[in-house]
Amino acid sequence: MLRYIAYRSLVALFLVWLVVSLVFLLLHLIPGDPAELLLSQGSLAADPAAVAALRERMGLNDPLWRQYLDHLGGVLTGDLGTSFRDGAPVAEQIALRLPRTLEVIGAATLLAALLGVPLGTYAAVRAGGKADGLLSLLSSIALSTPVFVVGSVAILIFAQKLQWLPAGGFVSFSEDPVQHLKLLILPASAVAISLWAVITRMTRATVIEVLERDYVRTARAKGLSRAPILRRHVVRNAMIPVLTITGLEMGTLIGGTVLVEFVFNWPGLSGYLVSAVDARDYPEVVGIVIVISMLFVFLNLAVDVVNALLDPRISLVKS
Amino acid sequence: MTRTTRKLLLPGTLIGLILAVIVLAPVLPLHDVRAMDVPNRFAGPSAAHWLGQDEFGRDVLARLIWGGRASLFIAVGSALSAAVLGTLLGLLGGYFRGVVEALTVRASEVILCLPPLLLALLVVTILGAGTGPLMVALTLLYTPNYARVVYAATLQVRALDFVTAQMAMGAHPLAILWRTILPNVMPPLLVQMSLVVASAMMIESGLSFLGLGVVPPTPSWGLMIRAARGAMEVSPLLLLWPSLALAGTILIFNLLCDRLQAVLDPRNVTAGGALWLRKGPRRAALPAVPAATDGPLLAITDMAISVNTSERSLELVRRADVSVHSGETVALVGESGSGKTLTSLALMGLLPDQLGISRGQALFRGRDGRVTDLAQLDEDGFRRFRGAEISMVFQDAAAALNPVHRIGDQLAEALRDTGDAQEISRRVVDLLRHVGIPDPERRQRAYPHELSGGQRQRAMIALAVANAPRLLIADEPTTALDPTIQAQILHLFQKLKSDTPDMGLIFVTHDLAVVAEIADRVVVMYAGEVVESGPVAQVFARPRHPYTAALIASVPEGAADRLVAIPGTVPPPNAMPPGCRFAPRCAHALPACSAAPPGAERPDPARITRCIRWKEVT
Ligand code: SF4
Repeated sequence: MLRYIAYRSLVALFLVWLVVSLVFLLLHLIPGDPAELLLSQGSLAADPAAVAALRERMGLNDPLWRQYLDHLGGVLTGDLGTSFRDGAPVAEQIALRLPRTLEVIGAATLLAALLGVPLGTYAAVRAGGKADGLLSLLSSIALSTPVFVVGSVAILIFAQKLQWLPAGGFVSFSEDPVQHLKLLILPASAVAISLWAVITRMTRATVIEVLERDYVRTARAKGLSRAPILRRHVVRNAMIPVLTITGLEMGTLIGGTVLVEFVFNWPGLSGYLVSAVDARDYPEVVGIVIVISMLFVFLNLAVDVVNALLDPRISLVKS
Repeated sequence: MTRTTRKLLLPGTLIGLILAVIVLAPVLPLHDVRAMDVPNRFAGPSAAHWLGQDEFGRDVLARLIWGGRASLFIAVGSALSAAVLGTLLGLLGGYFRGVVEALTVRASEVILCLPPLLLALLVVTILGAGTGPLMVALTLLYTPNYARVVYAATLQVRALDFVTAQMAMGAHPLAILWRTILPNVMPPLLVQMSLVVASAMMIESGLSFLGLGVVPPTPSWGLMIRAARGAMEVSPLLLLWPSLALAGTILIFNLLCDRLQAVLDPRNVTAGGALWLRKGPRRAALPAVPAATDGPLLAITDMAISVNTSERSLELVRRADVSVHSGETVALVGESGSGKTLTSLALMGLLPDQLGISRGQALFRGRDGRVTDLAQLDEDGFRRFRGAEISMVFQDAAAALNPVHRIGDQLAEALRDTGDAQEISRRVVDLLRHVGIPDPERRQRAYPHELSGGQRQRAMIALAVANAPRLLIADEPTTALDPTIQAQILHLFQKLKSDTPDMGLIFVTHDLAVVAEIADRVVVMYAGEVVESGPVAQVFARPRHPYTAALIASVPEGAADRLVAIPGTVPPPNAMPPGCRFAPRCAHALPACSAAPPGAERPDPARITRCIRWKEVT
């Protein structure tokens, strides 16, 4: 088990390295001068003196390998440079905002799983019935509606018309826990919806498959009643592929937070990214992209590890 | 119209309609998308403006159509360019393998290390917002999807004979790729295409919504939603129209993808489910069964098992007569397809959903002396018997044990009237020791895959005898094992028999050597019918049915190894011959044999045969 986790962690580290290098390459190997690109707004040419100064500041005059090593070294020591906009250290901003994004992702995943697994199981048990058809339609719609549409419509309904919840913003938990949670509900639900659809569909498909397995028949032959069979032998086994798919959805989930934080004014990491891209603040963008990619890789790692815990065969096969 | 086209008709027509509208946008009598009419801002739907006017008084319908044009142009355009690029990489990688594969397919997969929206944002940072950069980003993003699909398909096709033949004949690789491989990867490409268009629209609209995609004043759905958010209170409809258009279009493309997949891979379509999980209506009280004070443990008379589909019902097993006394071992013998496994599953209520007992009785005498007709029980009724009074050892222990639970836990689960954790653990260890698993204290913590095949089967047996059942059914318990282990497991059954002299045992097998070793009586089944039964010694010494005789003759005997295989095969259930079902393969068949099903005849009080010519031919 430990060996398996160590192996997966190595793979994850490799992926992080790959992403860091990829981002570096993207910014340096594309035709055109990053400094000039950054300073030029629209069709307006940049001031040559300013470009030269910026090149010096960005270390663009060093040889490429040198820049690359500096870049890697910076990432390793947690130094992601300083913002062009306000000169603040990028790492500090990220450390402040990352937990808020994680909170939305965590709440959304929890919500999606708590609703998706039972509903998917129900649909599988009643496969071909009315409830199954309805759930299939609902999940198709959920998968097809972009998260910012869900968010905007949710604000319209729950904040504007019904006035049940605030339309957006952020209050820290320590300041006002109730308001904090109230503000969390809409963003988390918006992110949760497409994940819910994925989990429901996948649960339905795997439960149907697991129900055909011999060990479910064995469980019946033992004289167990429905609930423990479903819990211990059907859903428990079906969770393994469902979790794998959830892992594959991590990218979409993180993309979802970018839009949702913007829609709900949630001051997380992703919203920070959008404003950084908007301002073309190169160190900020690179820093955030690297951190979010790490997040992506490590969430996937977490999924792998939980999967190995659920399925004792995994660690044996792959390590 | 075939089913295929009917399935694709709905999404196909809708997509056609949408495409037609946006292609014809320049010639449709629409308002100018940029013509402002500030006095009439936020005006509701009217004859001139069907969907109303926006925050600058512009016509919403026109903007919706032109916005869709922008969105779809970007989505379809990048889906196409990604398809071309990805297909190329996939074909090259899959055809040449090796270094080329690393440089094409694997290299493109690096993109998958980044969350999609993030990569798009990165590209936009570098290239600036706008339609061009968006398409570059989306093309990059979806190239690996196509490359993977085409790569996998190419590998498959590459191995086909006609492709190998062309390679051997020295055809130019490009010609081979173009002529044979490309047409073969078309279907998965189409599925991928509809998926990518839907997904690209999601990302395009998201970026436009953030103000990083399509640049105003070009209308786009994402931008329209962004603008409408500011005016939500005044005019919620402005938010609704582009939202509906966007979600609806994506939904249609997703639908097309689902349908395409269903058409290309029909396996997925069959709905499953499990009837036993649904609580049925409570059955009326069971008809009282006259109970003799003394009788067999199990008496099956004239039982039939049928498939019940809506069209017709088909008997898979009929005229099954089997009885088992306590302490007796009855072997159920026959080729595969003879109905022996179905018969034993029926006794546990474990028949597949579409099958059921359609006739006859299966009277079982319980521990309390009461007699129950198993043929009348429903799922809840069976639960009382399963594991406690009747239990079963399944053929393939590797599949029959749950891979994610420890052996000990699966065993503990089977125990009835348990005590505290310590007591349970003690009983589990005792059981494992009883079935001959070495070091049971440690082994109970093992997962099924950590045990050898023989030990798994022993664990399976421990599971079945956990509550000292009155009737044990073993369905081909040794078939999946190698010969030495087979002998050990057989030995274990003999030991269990002598340890629990009251237990009845039904041993299902196709192996006559095993029958001779373990059984007291034998029941021979053929094509869903019991054709002969009687004490093992008598039946083996003098079979009274040509099928039994042929089976015995086909057993290799020592060094002589004179195997006389029975010619022909068991007829399929939907094409059973009339009369005697063995007639097509029987060396002694006469026209009379096919006139009517032979009745049960008793050559001896203890024996039954269903052959009209038993007197002459055996
Ligand atoms: S009834 Fe006729 S065909 Fe059938 S087994 Fe007897 S001899 Fe053969």
